[in-house]
Amino acid sequence: MSYAYLFKYIIIGDTGVGKSCLLLQFTDKRFQPVHDLTIGVEFGARMITIDGKQIKLQIWDTAGQEAFRSITRSYYRGAAGALLVYDITRRDTFNHLTTWLEDARQHSNSNMVIMLIGNKSDLESRREVKKEEGEAFAREHGLVFMETSAKTAANVEEAFINTAREIYEKIQEGVFDINNEANGIKLGPQHLPSNANTPSGGASASQGGACC
Amino acid sequence: MPLNSNPHSHTSLSSLSNYSSSTDFTEHTNSLERSCEPPRFGLASFWTRAFTRKTDNDHSAASWKLFSRTSFFQKSRSGQSSCSSLNSSSSPTLNPRSIGSTGLILHSRPSFLPAKCPEEELHHQILHHKLLEESQRREQTKLQEKEKRIEELCKQEEQVAAATKIWTSEILPQWEISRKLRKTRDLWWQGLPPSVRGQVWKLSIGNDLNVTPELFALCLERAKEKLINCDGVGLESSVEGIKLDLSRTFPHLGIFQTGGPYHNVLGDLLSAYVCFRPDIGYVQGMSFLAATLLLNLEVSDAFISFSNLLNRPLLHAFFRLDHAKMADFYAGFEALLKSQLPKVYSHFLALNLTPDLYLQEWIYTLYSRSLPLDLASRVWDVYCRDGDDLIFRIAIGILKLYESTLLESDFIHSAQLLTNLPEDIDGIKLFKIVEQIGAYQEKSRFTQMLTHHFKVKGHT
Repeated sequence: MSYAYLFKYIIIGDTGVGKSCLLLQFTDKRFQPVHDLTIGVEFGARMITIDGKQIKLQIWDTAGQEAFRSITRSYYRGAAGALLVYDITRRDTFNHLTTWLEDARQHSNSNMVIMLIGNKSDLESRREVKKEEGEAFAREHGLVFMETSAKTAANVEEAFINTAREIYEKIQEGVFDINNEANGIKLGPQHLPSNANTPSGGASASQGGACC
Repeated sequence: MPLNSNPHSHTSLSSLSNYSSSTDFTEHTNSLERSCEPPRFGLASFWTRAFTRKTDNDHSAASWKLFSRTSFFQKSRSGQSSCSSLNSSSSPTLNPRSIGSTGLILHSRPSFLPAKCPEEELHHQILHHKLLEESQRREQTKLQEKEKRIEELCKQEEQVAAATKIWTSEILPQWEISRKLRKTRDLWWQGLPPSVRGQVWKLSIGNDLNVTPELFALCLERAKEKLINCDGVGLESSVEGIKLDLSRTFPHLGIFQTGGPYHNVLGDLLSAYVCFRPDIGYVQGMSFLAATLLLNLEVSDAFISFSNLLNRPLLHAFFRLDHAKMADFYAGFEALLKSQLPKVYSHFLALNLTPDLYLQEWIYTLYSRSLPLDLASRVWDVYCRDGDDLIFRIAIGILKLYESTLLESDFIHSAQLLTNLPEDIDGIKLFKIVEQIGAYQEKSRFTQMLTHHFKVKGHT
C-alpha cells in the first residue's frame, strides 16, 4: 500500500509497563493478558490517515530492563516519535521517567515528539500515580500526556495518532527536514494527497488496522 | 528424521490404559487426528518427571490431551497394532465415513413426484455415482495420508527407542571416551532422546566453576535472608525483576506462572544466581534459559548447568552487556553472512537491518523463546555438542530458510519475520541447511572469522 510519509516511533519505559501490549492493541486490536517479555526489540507497523494523507507508522518496541538501556540508546536514532510509558500502578516506573527522558533527549534528534503515557488506567483500584502527577510531569517537560489502557483499548488509538499528528504539524511548519532520514521521516512512494475515500481533515485509522 | 521431532511420543506413561479397542471409529479417528498433529513442545520428559505418580490415576481432560498419542503407540507396541486396526477399517466399502453425506442422496424418486424420463434418470444416476466415487477417493486419500504419518511416527518411535538404548548402554557409561567419537556425534546431531537429554546436557555443559548443590542451597538461603532484611538494593531490584518475569516466561506452558508447579523453583534458581553472581545480577533472557534447563533437570543440577552456561564466552559477553565483545560477535556473524548468503547480506545492508536487531533474542534465550520448544530443544542438544558457533550457524540457517521472502521484503517485514518466527518453521529443513553450512568447513568458519576479526582489532 502506498503512503505519503513513513514515521519511525520508538516505545520506551520500564519493564512490565505494557509497551508490547500497547503496540499489540494498536496494530492488532487485541489484548494478551499474559504477554511474553520483550528481549532486544520487536516491531509493529500500521497505516493511519491524517489530513487525508496515508501515513505509515513503523514502531520499534524496546526491552525495558535497565540492563538494556545501553542497547536501547542506539535505537533512538532516526525516530520521529517516542511513546514514553509508565505504569500508573507502579510508582517506581513513574519515578524513572526523568532518566528515560534524559536518554531520549540525548540520543534522538531534537525535534522528536515525545508522548508521555500512563498505562493500565483500567486498574483504578491499584493506582499509585495520580493523573495530575502525570499531567504535571508532562507540562514541566513539554510533553503530550495521556492515560491509556492496553486492556480496554482506551486512548490507545489516540496516543499513537496524536503523536503522528504532532509530527505531521511539525512537517507542515517546516520544523522537520523531511529529506533528512535521520529525523525518522521518510517520504512515501506516492507523496500526494491520497485517494478520495479517506476522510479529509480529521485523523482516522485505516480499515481494520491491518499491519502493513 | 530427527529423533525428537515428536517429543510426546516417548513418554513412558499412559493415562489411557483402559482405552478400549472397541471404541467407535469416530473417536478412534479423532484420537488419530490428535496424534497426527505436529508436535509443539518438547515437554515429554518434563511431564514424565513432574507427574509420574499422579497420572496413573488421573483421567482428566488435560492428561488425555497430553498423553493420548503415547497411549496410542503403546497399544501399538503391545501387539494390538493400531496401524493394522486402522487398515482393516479403512477399506472404502466397509467404512461408513468414506461415503459421507453424499451417501444420503436417494437413489430413486419419491412416489408422489412425477417420474423422470429414463435419460434423465440415467444421467442423474451417473452423476450420483460420480459424486460417491469422488467422495470415496477423497476420504481414501485422507486415510492413506494419515496412515503414512502414523507409520512415520511409529518409525520415529523405533528410532528413538534404539537411540535411547545406544545412549544409555554404550555412550553414557563411557562418557569421556565416547563423547568425541564420530558415531556419537552423528547420533547427537539428530537430537537427544528426551529421557537422556538432561543428563547429556549436564555432562556436556560441564562444571568448570565447581558449583555444588550445597552452594546452590547456600545462595538460595542468602537470597531469601537478604530479601527479608532488605539489605542490598541491587538484589532487591533484581528480585523485583525476576518476580515480574516469571509469569512472562513461556506463558503458554502455564507451569512457570503464578500457581504453576515450577513458579517458585524458577524464582529460586534465578534469585540464587543473583546472589552467586551479584556482578551480573538478573538480566532478562535468563528466565528462559533457566526454564529450559528446569524442563530437563532437577533444580540444583539446573543451577549448576545454568551458572556454567552463562560462563561460556557468548552468553558471558551478552549478559554482562560487554558492548565491545558483542560488537565483535555481530561483526563475526556479518562476515559469515556475507560469505554464506551474499544477497541477503547486501539486501540487509541496503535496508539498514543490522544483525543485532534479530540476533539479540536468539542469543539471550538460545532460541528457546524464538523457536517451537521441540525444535529449540534440538538446537540446545547440538549447542551442547558444538558450542557458541552453532548459535550463529542456526541464525544463518534461519535466514537461508526464509531467503526468498526476505529478499522481497522491506525493512519492517523482514524485521517482523525474524523477530517473530513462524510457528510452523520447518525444523528438519533448517537442520539440513545448517548441516550443509558445516559440511564444507573443516574448522568452523565462524570461529575463523571471529579469530580473524579479533586479530584485526588487536584483541588477541
